[in-house]
Amino acid sequence: MSSSIILHIDDKADYFGLVLKTKSGGLVLARPEGVSEGQQAPGSGGPGAKPILLREPCDLCGGKAKCAKVCPTGCIMVVD
Amino acid sequence: MYLRNGRIGVLDLSSGKASEQGYSEDRGLDDSSSIAVAEALATEHGQDSIVFGTGVLTGSFVPAACAGIVRAGGSGGSKIMPLMGFAGFELKLTGFDFIVLKGKAPGQGYVWARDGQLEFVAAPDMRALSSWGRTDKVRSEQGDAKIQVASCGPWGDACLKASQLVVNYWGGEDKVGTASALGAKNVLAVAFRGMGELELSEPDKHFEDSILLMREHLTTLGMSSGLASFYPNLARDDFSGLVHRLVGCYGCPYPCRTYLKTEEEPRELRLVAKEPGYLHYDAAALSKAFDMGIDARTACKILSACAKAGAEPVTVLSHCASLGKRIDLELVSAVLSKPSDIAPSGARNFEDSFPDQATYDACLGLGLCPRYWAKAGFDFEAVSEYAKSALGRPLK
Repeated sequence: MSSSIILHIDDKADYFGLVLKTKSGGLVLARPEGVSEGQQAPGSGGPGAKPILLREPCDLCGGKAKCAKVCPTGCIMVVD
Repeated sequence: MYLRNGRIGVLDLSSGKASEQGYSEDRGLDDSSSIAVAEALATEHGQDSIVFGTGVLTGSFVPAACAGIVRAGGSGGSKIMPLMGFAGFELKLTGFDFIVLKGKAPGQGYVWARDGQLEFVAAPDMRALSSWGRTDKVRSEQGDAKIQVASCGPWGDACLKASQLVVNYWGGEDKVGTASALGAKNVLAVAFRGMGELELSEPDKHFEDSILLMREHLTTLGMSSGLASFYPNLARDDFSGLVHRLVGCYGCPYPCRTYLKTEEEPRELRLVAKEPGYLHYDAAALSKAFDMGIDARTACKILSACAKAGAEPVTVLSHCASLGKRIDLELVSAVLSKPSDIAPSGARNFEDSFPDQATYDACLGLGLCPRYWAKAGFDFEAVSEYAKSALGRPLK
């Protein structure tokens, strides 16, 4: 299994967010202070992470996004 | 084999030569415990070998399947420390299920494992750095800020039993002096990074099963308040007032790791200061500090200083108390600046998750966080059922 969503870890304090590769080719970076789009995230994020640009763009797992399903806190949601 | 790379990396530090041996069931290694496998490898390669290892479930979707281990041995017998956060998982992604460090390097440096490669990198100038500086150096030198680094500090270099191995800046896993064993081999840090992929027997079923299990757990546990959810004595106003966020280890839905900001406003989401605070999961050290009347802010700074020095904080605090002086950061810093052979306090952190050692070993040996699973309820047979879809067989 691979994913189109990875952790973005910014610095030594493990400050983190998520980077999603969208089908349009743009990257969406979600951090606690807000969302930014259309730019390359500074990090590849997370353990073992392939650089985000090498990943498949998100297809919402065919309609049932696994990342949203597995998120224990409901931070990741699919919004129509 | 599912959830395994099938490879063990062996690095002879004396010669700098790396080799590989296969990891498979026909080697007679029972994979239900990484601890048992590490012991078998130490028997094969020498009792003074240091073995970094992963559990069979490390990196699976089973909740909190984040744990690896480090086994160090010597005249006092073997000791095991857990490897938490993302370090255990990252170790598996290097392409090695286990890494054996044998012999002694002729000069100081660090071990670098990534994508099926294993080497010793000479770095004599690294000795002048704190454990934090070493982590920064490895990441800068190898060009990747996501490298997982287990660092010794000056206390580990001096082979002191009261040293602690620090994992990505933070302390709490090493209560057994693993850093001193690495120091004796001239290893200042061990770093790993990999882009490996792990095969699952039935990926979708394993994913769905694991989600069900996680939801079951969360229904019982509720939302985590961090370390205070596990240790109610830490639920103090001065502690909670500094909390910036909670940080889960790989796959953990109920995190204990609690980041406290001491150098800037805790409610400010951005991190501006170079070293804004400290990530706490060393419940034993925090409890010790609070029992000694130290406030949360000072405790953060003390634990941070201990982590940089690579010294075990409960031992350091106990030693400071024995000096009969007022215990503050200044006194602790003075003690840390002169590494000395003080007797370890015998403090335990993750090791106290379960009332008995056998359950702790069974849980950790599978690659599961003992702290989480003690809270959620560990049952080997039940976990085995959930592991079937990942491994294509039950646990042995």
